Amino acid sequence: MWDSAESFFGSYYIYWISVFLFIGYGASLVTLYLSGIILARRSIKRTKQRSIFLREEDIVSATDIPSVTVIAPAYNEGLTIIENVKSLLSIQYPYYELILVNDGSKDDSLEKLIEEFDLEQQDATFITQPIPTASVKHIYKSRKKKYTHLTVIDKNNGGKADSINAGVNFATTELVIFTDVDCIIEQDAILKMVRPYLEEDDKEIIGCGGGIGIANDSVIKNGILAELRLPSRLIPMNQVVEYIRAFLLGRMAWSEVNGLMLISGAFGMYPRKRVIEVGGFNPKTVGEDLELCIRLRKHMEEKKIPYKVVYLPETLCWTEAPSDYNILIRQRDRWARGLWETISLHKDLFFNRKYSKMGMLYYPYWLFFEFGAPIVEFLGVICIIAFGLLGWIHWPFAILLSFAAYLVGCVFSTIAIFMYVKSFDHYTKPKQVVELLLAAYLEPFYYHPLLLFGQMKGYYKKLFDITSGWGTMTRKGFKITKS
Amino acid sequence: MDETTILYFIAVVFSILVIYWISIAVSLTYRRNRTARLEKIEITFADIVSRYLYEDPKKPLTLTEITRTLRNVGIKEKNKNNIQFLIRLMIRTQRTIVGSNFYKLQRLYTQIPPYGVSVKKISSWNWYRQARGIRELYEMNQSQYFDEIFKYRNDKNIYVRREAQIALVVFLGWESLRFLPYLKRNMTLWQQIKIVEKLYDLYPKPELKWLHRAYKTDRLFGIKLLMRIIRKYELHAETGYIVDNLNHEDYEVRETAIYCIKTFAVSSSTMEYIKNLYDDIPDATQQGQLLDYIYQNSEIDLDFYMRQLYGTNDDLKLSIAEILWNNGYKEKVQEFYYEQYPNSVLNVG
Repeated sequence: MWDSAESFFGSYYIYWISVFLFIGYGASLVTLYLSGIILARRSIKRTKQRSIFLREEDIVSATDIPSVTVIAPAYNEGLTIIENVKSLLSIQYPYYELILVNDGSKDDSLEKLIEEFDLEQQDATFITQPIPTASVKHIYKSRKKKYTHLTVIDKNNGGKADSINAGVNFATTELVIFTDVDCIIEQDAILKMVRPYLEEDDKEIIGCGGGIGIANDSVIKNGILAELRLPSRLIPMNQVVEYIRAFLLGRMAWSEVNGLMLISGAFGMYPRKRVIEVGGFNPKTVGEDLELCIRLRKHMEEKKIPYKVVYLPETLCWTEAPSDYNILIRQRDRWARGLWETISLHKDLFFNRKYSKMGMLYYPYWLFFEFGAPIVEFLGVICIIAFGLLGWIHWPFAILLSFAAYLVGCVFSTIAIFMYVKSFDHYTKPKQVVELLLAAYLEPFYYHPLLLFGQMKGYYKKLFDITSGWGTMTRKGFKITKS
Repeated sequence: MDETTILYFIAVVFSILVIYWISIAVSLTYRRNRTARLEKIEITFADIVSRYLYEDPKKPLTLTEITRTLRNVGIKEKNKNNIQFLIRLMIRTQRTIVGSNFYKLQRLYTQIPPYGVSVKKISSWNWYRQARGIRELYEMNQSQYFDEIFKYRNDKNIYVRREAQIALVVFLGWESLRFLPYLKRNMTLWQQIKIVEKLYDLYPKPELKWLHRAYKTDRLFGIKLLMRIIRKYELHAETGYIVDNLNHEDYEVRETAIYCIKTFAVSSSTMEYIKNLYDDIPDATQQGQLLDYIYQNSEIDLDFYMRQLYGTNDDLKLSIAEILWNNGYKEKVQEFYYEQYPNSVLNVG
């Protein structure tokens, strides 16, 4: 039918099919985002109203609240491990344990921990491990009274998922929180996170996530975020806007319709018993957070137990975002591979009535709009080039249409920033808000193409079976000041 | 679609953008002014309370002066947010004051604005306002509104009925337990916790006759609540109620029973009874939790553990093996292992 690329792209049918496909896809996305704004707004309002009836000071003084373990895996974090662990230890919650899993670090992380926290080896000749993991070498507990809630697991290297699974095995609490050791968690984060578990009525809460913020160039004092600053560089600044948009609009909207399929691996809470039931994180994928959430949901659907996955709008965890484009591309490459792996692992969900809304709506959404978006965008670029070369594009009209699409994107970012500024007091100075808006408006010109490149790189690796692991995430580290 | 349509569309989208820019600016300005206003109200109220409680005989504080001062900082009927903030301050202050000053403060609250704001909220169509109104009334101990609140104890909105039920506990104490068998809707964990905490804070002396009457309840949430009360008050004589629910058919009742029994050390005969119930528990995870309690609170009963070691659940067998191994019965574990895997080497430790 088409004997050359020229005849293919020059085909009348191909041209119109492409035009309708791209416009239809774009229009669907805009509709979804608009619905997202309405749902997110409702969800934020409702969460705020509910919180009036369950204040942190009431939770902290109660005795029957669930116990919580924070599990933080660490691999070669020797440079910052002491500060990071002290930060995690300072979280306020009456029944709180911290399990740090040293995943076979090659540096001096363990020695530093032993020295600083006066750790002693525990008798662990026979340990029950419901989830199989790489072998555990030793368990350490602190001799110091103020660190009795700290446990360090020293194990052979098995990756992040494997380390978290080891932590789950050793945890004895009802709830477990997974985080990264270098995250700065808000002091009252757990008090806020347990709220949905305390309030659960007819549906079991199987996962709860909290907002994640970017703290590059911010000031950390005694393990606490002392002063939140906007990043000085443009790439992390754009990630601030991206995270606000993703967490405040996206996740909150999905939470409102119980359609959340992802709780970020940087900060998420689950009931330990359910995590064990599904066999913990899957160490074979780099998108283990998404995969676990989907598997948990499937598990509940199969058991026919009503459940909910919820998100809290407040930023409860601060992390350091990639500060240059190389690291950013590597991160997005990994996320894209994780998404690919998870989507293919759970392909049985696709329009599967057995899994009700998850099969009929949420999974198809992830397939078409999360997984499919970079592909559609990439194809769009190719079509523009091809049709442009063939002279099929009416440039004045195309430029106007692109500008309209750009403005629509700006409106979504502005709404997200407005909702954030209105709801939270993190960015209250006019200068900060103007900087955020400017970063959002510049995003399509340099930041978004980088994301697209990273995602396509990840897909390319999966398509041609190029082996690639987690990759190295070089971090600059927070500005730490001592009191 | 032509260029004019696109241009029109761009104009609309741009207008939306401008509206949001203005909204952000307004929001930032409002927040700044509001923070300053609330600070002013807080300082003024703290000053009024301290001057009222610790009166200067030379310069007594009159009610007219209080009302005028509050009005000057924005406590007016039309400023609903300011009034709401003042109510929060009043509740917070009252929580921190005890003794004669507490009653003095209550007297003050009945005489100063806002008047009847909380009780008006109860009749609102909005669940949020209703629940808030009930909360404010019980937090400020306004027991004269008991009848208005009582009818909401079975409300379809979870927050309204929760606050109404807590109000019953605040106003009636232990006697409120007599309503437990007649509550129609489920109670969340937090509802149970809050009731237990309020009861304990306001009525620390147990009145067992109400507890015994409440035992008649067959509501699952009621059974859980009663076990939590027994736990909170450490009512050793009532542990039988918890023990009897260890093998309850409902998963969550069993879970609560296991959680509550962990607070108590029981007699050896009761422990024997608990060991007998162990096999009736249909969930392996809960069996594991009870096993942990049995292990922590009794001597090693080899017969019991050996019986379990040859049970059916692998996780439980592993836990039993761990207990036996760490308590000087390595040979029993080895024996068990070689029986199953005669040609293997046990690789532990």
